Amino acid sequence: MKKATGLYPGCSLEGTSKAFRTSLRSVLRRLDAQCEPLRDWNCCGASSAHAMDHELYLALSARNLAQARDQGYEEIIAPCAACYHRLVCAEMELARHPETLAAVNARTGLNYGGGIAVLNMLDYFTDRVGLSAIGEQVRQPLKGLRVACYYGCLNSRIPHAAATSGPPDAPGGATRSEYPMSMDHIVAALGAQPLDWSYKTECCGASLFVTASSVSARLVGHILKDAVAAGADCISVACPMCQNNLDTKQDAIRAAFGIGRPMPVLFITQLMGLAFGVSAAELRIGDALVPFQWRVDKGGAAAEVTACPA
Amino acid sequence: MPVAFRENINRCYQCGKCSTGCPIAEAMDMLPHQVIHLLALGMEARVRPLNTPWLCAGCYTCAVRCPNDIDVTAVMGELREKAIAAGAPCPCPDVLAFHRNFLRDLKRRGRIHELRMMGEYNLLTRRPFRDAALASKMLLKGRLPLRAPRALRGFKRWVRKAGRL
Repeated sequence: MKKATGLYPGCSLEGTSKAFRTSLRSVLRRLDAQCEPLRDWNCCGASSAHAMDHELYLALSARNLAQARDQGYEEIIAPCAACYHRLVCAEMELARHPETLAAVNARTGLNYGGGIAVLNMLDYFTDRVGLSAIGEQVRQPLKGLRVACYYGCLNSRIPHAAATSGPPDAPGGATRSEYPMSMDHIVAALGAQPLDWSYKTECCGASLFVTASSVSARLVGHILKDAVAAGADCISVACPMCQNNLDTKQDAIRAAFGIGRPMPVLFITQLMGLAFGVSAAELRIGDALVPFQWRVDKGGAAAEVTACPA
Repeated sequence: MPVAFRENINRCYQCGKCSTGCPIAEAMDMLPHQVIHLLALGMEARVRPLNTPWLCAGCYTCAVRCPNDIDVTAVMGELREKAIAAGAPCPCPDVLAFHRNFLRDLKRRGRIHELRMMGEYNLLTRRPFRDAALASKMLLKGRLPLRAPRALRGFKRWVRKAGRL
């Protein structure tokens, strides 16, 4: 078995959230992290397989877990929160119900025997890489930047997690699902200021953003409004769908809900990259539709981090 | 006779926590805990026409708060599955069209081609120019690659054995 952790990118990181992929790659390289992309992974099925066809969702996840195992990994991270949630839930269900695992294997010709740990990317940064290692890479502390850390749903809410009734800080514990802090700790390690606010785990509406947009717009409006009220300079996310929903129709949603100022929505890995001294272009800061402008204090001489032109 | 669900809904004692935490509750025909109650009483037919399972965003707030460890989100998923299997008319046809189309795209190559998936969804729901201005902005930013991802070898054959739909 390899020491390295497998990286499951997922479909969004190859498309609408390329910025998440490239910024994550830059950050992992700077941290010298032993994390390598999986080969031959398939779509996790997202909410669609889960919503319509439980057997398909389990099989899609089992195929990915089997790929990871065959490629010599014992643990994987899935930066996309939706992929992470699908994979970790499927892994749990297959581990708890050997008869289900046997049925999936028999139906699909897979030979997955279990034993792949699915890690949350934020936990990977705080627990595997470590906050001190992250702090050591900081070249341009994000001093004074006020960040509302938005975890959304799928980074923090794992149903039937072992420790639900255990200590609040344990995986699945109440602190993790109601008021997670891992991203806040990372943001603090970058020299920025994480904010207390009320919407860090409220839902953005996920695919209702497309299929029932008025329902989703209300949810997004509340989130943006509270981030503005908390005095945030930007929202930090760890989910392609959250970034997409909070960013791409923000003008219309701000107008509808009377939200006074734009709220940039960045991936946490982009903030890490900026603090590590990676260029805004390499981090694809300009991919977001709401521009992010921030002055980084470069040892007296201020350097402007601005969105690259579209 | 109540229909069996993968989650043991008989553990529910109607505390209503799932409904108070639900971010979509105000748009739902009936609240999640009421749906669970009807199911426990074996009245699934009464649930069929409701938009509740179809508007569930899958945020899992109900699932992690349930004092009886019932994954209510999973129950909503199973309700959708059962409705599709029964060929029941769907109260939220756009939601059904989206998920169906998503899975169809997935099964082509093993990975989603977002541009095509969204374009086809627009055609299926007869609003071909929905979000066209947004899509063009995203295209310019390189966030909607025109090229489909490379197909995984043998995936099409494999996926036919993988699910029910």
